Amino acid sequence: MNKTVTKFFTIADYEEEEKWLRDQHRNGWKVIKMTAPCFYTFESCEPEDMIYRLDFRDIEKMDEYENMLKDFGWEYIGQCVGWQYFRKPACETETQEEGELFSDNASKAELVSNVITTRMAPICLIFLCCVIPNFMRFMKGDFVGPLGMILGLFFAVMFVVYVYLIIYCGTKLKKIKKRYED
Amino acid sequence: MDDKIKRIYVPMTESGFYILYCLQTPQHGYGISQQVKKMTGGAVVISAGTMYGTLSKMEKDGLIRFSHEEEKRKLYQLTELGEEILAIEMQRIERLYRNIKGEYINE
Repeated sequence: MNKTVTKFFTIADYEEEEKWLRDQHRNGWKVIKMTAPCFYTFESCEPEDMIYRLDFRDIEKMDEYENMLKDFGWEYIGQCVGWQYFRKPACETETQEEGELFSDNASKAELVSNVITTRMAPICLIFLCCVIPNFMRFMKGDFVGPLGMILGLFFAVMFVVYVYLIIYCGTKLKKIKKRYED
Repeated sequence: MDDKIKRIYVPMTESGFYILYCLQTPQHGYGISQQVKKMTGGAVVISAGTMYGTLSKMEKDGLIRFSHEEEKRKLYQLTELGEEILAIEMQRIERLYRNIKGEYINE
């Protein structure tokens, strides 16, 4: 049996996402597909303690990457907007590092840097070059007619969403990075 | 040697050092991690993502190169530059070790 669940995680919530997916598997639901921006397809399965991990990197040769992680016992589930999803039974890990994708702080901080440059930068760019100018036009009353009103309201909502996302993700990613750099 | 490469890799992380050390003979990612685990009595365990990331970066920077393939696994080995960096790091760590023992180095 399959089910689709809607749940939104920002780019700064990947550790929460890992925990959530692990809880789902413990309750007998394993994720089989992630669809942007917030849809998860689950398949019913035997409840098991499965560790879920997310990686974020630009991969040139996917099969090489997949093969190496398989050697280490990680099952590749799939990817979704730059994130790669993996799982591994908790009982197969002897040490804490074997249940992690990254064993040193340098590589943990690098994942955060990858997320900031690949995902955070475009968000800021769209905000500066598209959302702000259009929001200003809306405030000045440049949008006229019912269609203009809808468009204006759309940019006003976008403005709020982007401000929230940038502040929330920016501070959280910085905090995670700092945790690994100190 | 390229100063930039030296700045990045000297001193290097513990995982980086062990990976480079192991690649004096051709080896694949999982093999390296097993060897390091055995060498250090389980004190140093290199995870999959860290291994993949370090190998990719070292290959790009010319410290290691593709050697051959075994059962779909890519084996790497040191390049001359890699050997040079490894030698610098070994000397540095040896100096640390001798200093810890209270020795002074007279050159």
